[in-house]
Amino acid sequence: MALQVYTASLLKEGLVAYLALDNGRPSWTTDIHQATVSNDDALETLKSAAEQSEQDNIVVAPYAIDVFQTENGIVATTKREQIRAAGPTIALPQGNIRESREAA
Amino acid sequence: MYQYSEQDHQLLLERVSQFRGQVARRLKGELSEEEFKHQRLRNGLYLQLHAYMLRVAIPYGLLSSEQMRTLAHIARKYDKGYGHFSTRQNIQYNWPKLEDVPDILDDLAKVEMHAIQTSGNCIRNTTSDPLAGVARDEIEDPRPYCELIRQWSTFHPEFNFLPRKFKIAVSGATQDRAAVAVHDIGLRLVKSKTSDEIGFEVYVGGGLGRTPMLGKVIRAFLPKQDMLTYLEAILRVYNMLGRRDNIYKARIKILVHETGEEKFRELVEAEWEKIKAGGLYLKEEDFNWVKGFFNDPEYDILPDQDADFENLMLSNADFARWVDKNIELHKQSGYRIVYLSLKTAHQPPGDVTADQMDAIADLADKYSLGHIRTTHRQNLVLSDVQLKDLPVLWEELKALDLATPNYNHVTDIISCPGLDYCALATARSIPISQAITARFDDYDFINDLGDVSINISGCINACGHHHVANIGILGVNKKGTEVYQLTLGGSAREDAAIGKIIGPAFEADEIVDAVSKVLSVYLENREDPEETFLTAYRRLGPALFKERLYG
Repeated sequence: MALQVYTASLLKEGLVAYLALDNGRPSWTTDIHQATVSNDDALETLKSAAEQSEQDNIVVAPYAIDVFQTENGIVATTKREQIRAAGPTIALPQGNIRESREAA
Repeated sequence: MYQYSEQDHQLLLERVSQFRGQVARRLKGELSEEEFKHQRLRNGLYLQLHAYMLRVAIPYGLLSSEQMRTLAHIARKYDKGYGHFSTRQNIQYNWPKLEDVPDILDDLAKVEMHAIQTSGNCIRNTTSDPLAGVARDEIEDPRPYCELIRQWSTFHPEFNFLPRKFKIAVSGATQDRAAVAVHDIGLRLVKSKTSDEIGFEVYVGGGLGRTPMLGKVIRAFLPKQDMLTYLEAILRVYNMLGRRDNIYKARIKILVHETGEEKFRELVEAEWEKIKAGGLYLKEEDFNWVKGFFNDPEYDILPDQDADFENLMLSNADFARWVDKNIELHKQSGYRIVYLSLKTAHQPPGDVTADQMDAIADLADKYSLGHIRTTHRQNLVLSDVQLKDLPVLWEELKALDLATPNYNHVTDIISCPGLDYCALATARSIPISQAITARFDDYDFINDLGDVSINISGCINACGHHHVANIGILGVNKKGTEVYQLTLGGSAREDAAIGKIIGPAFEADEIVDAVSKVLSVYLENREDPEETFLTAYRRLGPALFKERLYG
């Protein structure tokens, strides 16, 4: 049975976030490893919590994504969601320039 | 450059204040995302893969040093210390917070900048030749006409909800550095065939995306006085007949294609007849007023040679390479145009750090009359540098990693942000551009290849202009894997052409080898080193390339 987590963008910051339920209380984390994983049966609980968060103006456009549970934590199944979870796969310019200047 | 009037300032401040209120209401929940989305997109604010993205307009690619410093300040204060220059001469910030955006717009407004006309289904920021006003091949400076278009199109009530976005480019030179053939409307300043009068050749219905098309010449010569009335007539026809039922068929290129060039021309001319004598007819006083903002600076009278410059050319091969690749002749004796390459092995194409922006602003003040231009190939230009200053400027640019000698050469790659940033992308493009740069980052090889363009898009929307590259790369998602289609033979210049897909796509770890094979076929088969890749490809056809790629 497919495992899923709920993801969305935080309204204020725009950052990628994942839904975590703690004793039924929802919170949103930018760390996919902290997300609450659900199988198909329990997905409805996550869905209604995510929709409530959208109505409460905490997140924008929540949706479920397929994930794997691995030894290193939760990993999204698609490249797109892996990049959303981990950030750009390239070094961001600021660091690069600093490094190259330091090297020079 | 154009200086804002009191009304311009007022308009901008009111717009920021209005958006501040909209953001506050969104954050309080008084506006839903659906309601707010339309407002933020009127102010250049997207919600992308990782964060909000703010696209700031740089009208026809012209910046003052003060404006560049403000862009640096914004990158530093509200973002992650860098910005990305786009293929439409604008700048994008990848990480702003929603609650900060009104403050960013306030800071921009202080230096006569904004994010209007950078998103939404309106007439977008007009683009132009980055060498406008200084190029030797210029027929007439296009910037006054761009400014007239900007003023006509900004908040034009009739064209605020077009079927789809609408892009206009204006070129005033014999060489096309503004890609006019792939815009919704392309205007090219030309001399009349029967007199000395200068007017516009009008192209309509060009565009890239999933249905790439070259613009059709719907009027071979339009008197300048009629520019705005004719644009208005085209926009009216599009606004009335353009499709709103299917987003993929909503651009004017589809309307022109489906209506037929001749019929479309008749519709425009009929509409034009009704309005050509109206208030938008441009008079001599209108031209005189707007041209006053774009007068030549007071150039020094200088010889077109300098002993120190020439000595360094002879004694320093690196300097000579940079001059050979990144310097263009200027219309004024003793001056040169300098391309600042934003294509290095160290950062994504078009990306500039805040520190670099500040340094570029200082260099512009010191050596280039305080102005900077952006190019649609994602580089920057210092347009008015004295020949004698080139050696010291080169040293300063080298220290900033902005002096890679590669303008219009194989590592001068256009790349969209791709799946590393973009919510629409289906594949990454920046890592491919970096892999190609790493593979071919050898001056002798780059020099030997000569003039060639590689453009990369991370999805069918083609923001990386892959269709009009000599070698185009399109990333797509095939059953969960990023694969890359190769198109050959495109051009964005005066000989504009849409490239053709050469065969099945390559996986990410194969695409650089594929590009290498294409380049090898060219090197082995060119008639002589003067024959460019595109000329050779047009002569040879695709067969040899296909055979090398697929056996």
